[in-house]
Amino acid sequence: MAGSQDMFDAIVMADERFHGQGYQEGYEEGSSLGIIEGRQHGALHGAKIGSEIGCYQGFAFAWKYLLLSYTTKKDSKKMKVLESLIGMIQKFPYDDPTYDKLHEDLDKIRGKFKQLCSLLNVQPDFKISTEGSGLSF
Amino acid sequence: MSWVQAAALVGCPGDEGDVFDETADESLLVQREWRNHMHRRVKEGYRDGVDAGKAVALQQGFNQGYKEGAEVIINYGQLRGTLSALLSWCHLHDNGSALIGKINNLLDAVGQCEEYVLKHLKSITPQPHVVDLLDSIQDMDLCHVVPVEKKIDEAKDETLCENNVEFNKNCSKIPSGMDCSYLEYCRTQQHAYSESPSLTWILEQTASLVKQLGISVDVLQHLKQL
Repeated sequence: MAGSQDMFDAIVMADERFHGQGYQEGYEEGSSLGIIEGRQHGALHGAKIGSEIGCYQGFAFAWKYLLLSYTTKKDSKKMKVLESLIGMIQKFPYDDPTYDKLHEDLDKIRGKFKQLCSLLNVQPDFKISTEGSGLSF
Repeated sequence: MSWVQAAALVGCPGDEGDVFDETADESLLVQREWRNHMHRRVKEGYRDGVDAGKAVALQQGFNQGYKEGAEVIINYGQLRGTLSALLSWCHLHDNGSALIGKINNLLDAVGQCEEYVLKHLKSITPQPHVVDLLDSIQDMDLCHVVPVEKKIDEAKDETLCENNVEFNKNCSKIPSGMDCSYLEYCRTQQHAYSESPSLTWILEQTASLVKQLGISVDVLQHLKQL
């Protein structure tokens, strides 16, 4: 009885061993495939966010300079919204996909940007597609 | 892929195709069945491993790529945003339409640059690892003509090429390393000529345009890191 039990164990062990051997190799192969595939997707998503945030940032900084240096009538309302937008952008971890409030904050930044544009009475066209800025698969 | 080899070694030549050999020992059949079963187990394990490895690595790769993509593109975005601000400023203050046209052209140029970089990001292709290639070639049983030393040389060459473009010159003297180094070289040249200069060119143009608008170039100070 003990003998057949040993035999059975040996078979199960061999089964596991062969499976494990294949698994190990497959795992390594799968890991490098996953890194490559994930990186491609990630780069595109990151670029979308980076492009949009960079745009708001460049726009806000340039306007801040223009308002401070080239307007005689200082408009505190415009400046306040502008400063608030800059603050939001600087706090925003645009390169971190694991940031849990990324979408929430991004929407707030978009809203603030729209508010600024209407205050400035301008309608910039960045040609940004706001779709598909997802975080994971 | 060493299990492919292992499996091939287990199989004795000549014992294929005689499934209906009535004189065959029953134990031989059992043996073969066992072997097939184990072969299948290795394959199953491999598949499970690929799935598991991929599942773990996908998110890791995504996060890595996300950071890279965001960091590369943000500068272009900043430049685009700045140009848009200047454009809207011009519209509000009714500056000459010639300058407005110029800004629009520069905006298009930034867009093209960005598209180029995006295309570049999309085509991040797996760098073939020499070790993997050799492994596959060995598995295919095609390489017994190639002396081991030469293989190691090639491996060395290619590693050097990947690590440092400077080594290309040395590499290309060795015929075996030539293809790799030449391609690497072309890619680097292409990279150097068609990407950064156009961005600096756009920046220069932007600076001169700002002066024409009668605005201090300080309006571009946030773009310093470009």
